[in-house]
Amino acid sequence: MANNSTADFQPQITLLYCRQSLAAEVKAVQGNRAGDGFSVRLVLLPCSSKVQLPHLMRLLEQGCDGLQIAACPEKACQHLVGSNRAEKRIARGRGLLEQVGMGAERLGLDRGAGLSLDDLMEMAGQRAEAVRALGPNPMKGV
Amino acid sequence: MITAEWKPIEEMVGYLRGHKKVLVIGCATCVAECAAGGEREVETLAPLLAMAMQNDGNPIEVKSATLERQCEPEFLEAISEAAADADAIVSVACGIGMQLVAEHYADTPLYPGVNTTSLSIREEPGLWTSRCAACGDCVLGLTFGLCPVARCAKSLQNGPCGGTRTDGMCEINQDTPCIWRLIVERATARGRLEDLTKVRPPKDWSNSPAGGPKRMLREDLRS
Ligand code: SF4
Ligand code: SF4
Repeated sequence: MANNSTADFQPQITLLYCRQSLAAEVKAVQGNRAGDGFSVRLVLLPCSSKVQLPHLMRLLEQGCDGLQIAACPEKACQHLVGSNRAEKRIARGRGLLEQVGMGAERLGLDRGAGLSLDDLMEMAGQRAEAVRALGPNPMKGV
Repeated sequence: MITAEWKPIEEMVGYLRGHKKVLVIGCATCVAECAAGGEREVETLAPLLAMAMQNDGNPIEVKSATLERQCEPEFLEAISEAAADADAIVSVACGIGMQLVAEHYADTPLYPGVNTTSLSIREEPGLWTSRCAACGDCVLGLTFGLCPVARCAKSLQNGPCGGTRTDGMCEINQDTPCIWRLIVERATARGRLEDLTKVRPPKDWSNSPAGGPKRMLREDLRS
């Protein structure tokens, strides 16, 4: 059953991050991790430009509470405009999520370079805080 | 291509209240090119509808499929099982494809997920602009290949209205060039401006949509 109590709500975040945004010495990691008051599934992308709305909407349909994309800084994208395209798609996705009553804050993109695992966890934590007010994803357990 | 745009999701939610199993279908041809009804859009809309209906208090099960073409009967067989299992279909193909599906699967209610809007080209990434209005009596040969029916806000046939903006854009829409300005420019560039002063026979509007439903018959192709 979905946990509908906001007080003990522990948001489940999926964080999709660009391989190039990590610091060179940081080993790419995937899988589930526990954060402070939230949990996160880390998913490695070859480039943030690979995120497409169908994937993002399916992940939310399947019940994750929030989706965070970690992209490279604007001028540092290995595909030049890949992260800008991703950013525009995320903006459209946020508008659509608002329209269907899910709340735009369930989806977000932030940029960074030379990121560590702690930085990724911090980004996920910020997304968890943003979705906390929205409560658990109503699709959870459906 | 035929272009279409998503309807507001709220409108689709209104259609789907009371249904339980919904099939969302797209078309991999024109509406895929204009990013309204191809596989990517179908696979975006299907989960969005599931979420919208859940939040509306009317949960539904949503399945999805994208046909090669929705306006040819041969391609509709691919969804026969899914259509039989659904109690409603949402189509994001053009109005032509939608109607063929509605006819083919007549027992299942079909709802439009898009508004079909124009015959356009993709002028730039993310920008589609009208080129033709299927008027049935093409005048491109007289207007230097630029359509004054689809591309003039007033469909003027004998020159500009007089309202052309000083920057050459249409008085009705500042983002759209006055097509008569473009016609005159092209005629001038070809040294044929005089051609535009010739008296032309009246245009035959009876073969346009205003002349009633079109029925095109070719005896040589009939069995
Ligand atoms: S003149 Fe008529 S047929 Fe020719 S492009 Fe314009 S609308 Fe289409
Ligand atoms: S400004 Fe040009 S395109 Fe616009 S209505 Fe007048 S003639 Fe037509």
